[in-house]
Amino acid sequence: MDLFTKVCSTWLAIIAILAVVGPFLPLPDPREADFAAPGVKPFSPGHLLGTDSNGYDLLSNVVNGTRVSLMISLVSVLVGGLIGSSIGIISAYVRGRFDGIVSTLFNIILSIPNLVLGLSLVAVLATSPDPSIPVSSNRRIFVIMLSLTFVIIPILGRIARGATLAWVNREFVVAARSMGMRDKDIIFKHIVPNVLPAIYSVGFLAIGVVIVAEGSLSLLGVGVVDGVSWGAMIARVAGEFTYLPHSMYVPVTVLALSVIACNQVGDHLRSRLDLREGKI
Amino acid sequence: MTALLSIKDLVVRFRTPRGLLEAVRGVNLDIPAGASVGIVGESGSGKTVMSRAAMGLLSGSNVERSGSVMFDGHELSSLDSVQVREYFGTGMAMIFQDPMTALNPVRRIGTQISEGLRVRLGMSKKDAMKRSAELLAKVRIPDPEAVLRKFPYQLSGGMRQRVMIATAIACNPKLLFADEPTTALDVTVQAQILNLLADLRKDLGMSMVLVTHDLGVVANNTDFVAVMYAGEIVEMAPTTELFANMKMPYTEALLKSIPKIDAPTEKRLPVIEGRLPNPTDRPDGCGFASRCSYAQDKCRQDRPELEDAGNGHLYRCWYPLGSTIARKSS
Repeated sequence: MDLFTKVCSTWLAIIAILAVVGPFLPLPDPREADFAAPGVKPFSPGHLLGTDSNGYDLLSNVVNGTRVSLMISLVSVLVGGLIGSSIGIISAYVRGRFDGIVSTLFNIILSIPNLVLGLSLVAVLATSPDPSIPVSSNRRIFVIMLSLTFVIIPILGRIARGATLAWVNREFVVAARSMGMRDKDIIFKHIVPNVLPAIYSVGFLAIGVVIVAEGSLSLLGVGVVDGVSWGAMIARVAGEFTYLPHSMYVPVTVLALSVIACNQVGDHLRSRLDLREGKI
Repeated sequence: MTALLSIKDLVVRFRTPRGLLEAVRGVNLDIPAGASVGIVGESGSGKTVMSRAAMGLLSGSNVERSGSVMFDGHELSSLDSVQVREYFGTGMAMIFQDPMTALNPVRRIGTQISEGLRVRLGMSKKDAMKRSAELLAKVRIPDPEAVLRKFPYQLSGGMRQRVMIATAIACNPKLLFADEPTTALDVTVQAQILNLLADLRKDLGMSMVLVTHDLGVVANNTDFVAVMYAGEIVEMAPTTELFANMKMPYTEALLKSIPKIDAPTEKRLPVIEGRLPNPTDRPDGCGFASRCSYAQDKCRQDRPELEDAGNGHLYRCWYPLGSTIARKSS
């Protein structure tokens, strides 16, 4: 493992730990504005990374926001990946008309830009007709996860389908059939273990994609606006970028670093796991 | 003699973008119980497709199979892929051509061998592992316990082929299809594997179908030989009869193209000129006519039928070798 990969996995580990222990750290309440110090620069007393124009502590927000941001991306990639790769593997295994329908559906879903899809789903499912009764941020989070899951399904589904196609005609699959194995056993014991590496590495890349998507949705005003997440921070400070740029830099830097780390770890996994195939 | 496996009018067609490809064109073949039958032919002659179709292993929506396959008194061709499973492993098993691809790279040898035992014979994991070690010892792999825990990439080609054989004979099949079991191996290992198969066949009383392109392998290891060309059986006879009394120019050409150790080194290796006819567009007459040095006009126009020369010797040629019919050299 090279140094860069080590740094990236360490970063991801820190993020993961923060997501768990964040709320227990001795930091100011992320929702509690410090009216005495609105818009202070980083390295001010009491506010290591400064505050935004409302006096919200940026460090506390970015640390506590990890939980929601990471949860959104992990849940949508896990659920979307599970659904997508199951469909992809089965479709490549049975072939025929079912496979044709599945591939067409995947292509149709892929042709919808994910931000447009997210926007419309949030607009339909998580907006309130009465502006005075805002939609709870939990519902927002759920709908965002739903739309991002929907985006992930065809991405990982196609990867799984492609990988399965490459393995399903291998002789060992025919050999397993010639020993009288059931299709279910062939899929779980012979195909899934070979397809998993591809899904792992693309899964990591997908986490990065989803983190960015969450941030972009927030910027468009349909993210977790009132909650505590990286996207929510970006959404809140979007208007004050010109005079308080640091309030934007903090969440964006953390977000960018996490995406880079995810991509690097995914890439590293892919090259490591490809090597095994090279040895055969 | 009753046949363990009886193939009647087996036809396999593949639908391809360039038209219907007839890979196997009406093969009739009986495998007697306890016998070893060789199937010889060059690459693309339909040997592998024929043996896989006989077992019902060809899958895909572009495959059409017709004809009858009787195994041990049961008709297999009308069964679907779930029903035919009952005969796999315990009835029929197959050794595959390429030991590099026929083992799953991410699973240990032990789990792969014991899989058949557990699925087909319902053995417990522990018993199946114990039996797998015995099987590995039977195919003469040293230190079987250690090999059980290894992954395929840790074994050499010869070792993997032995593992394949162990997997195939795990459930004591009555009939073993060996699809070019030695093609991917070097010559010294080839002989070991063939001897091993012969010994196993004696020990377990299996019938065997040995698919190969090597007449030398067939001469030493089989009781009957079927020569395939362009999807048809062109000559079939007991092994000794075939080599003593060859009828088919194609068989002769195959035999002649085996390099001889005492041939002068400056001479070119004899080859069969030309190529197999395009399987999507077969010629009207004999498929071998365009490459046959004895071919006459009749050969190019009419497709010959299988003729019986006695002694169980069948051939498909208008002008068989050794016949008195006058030939003009072409």
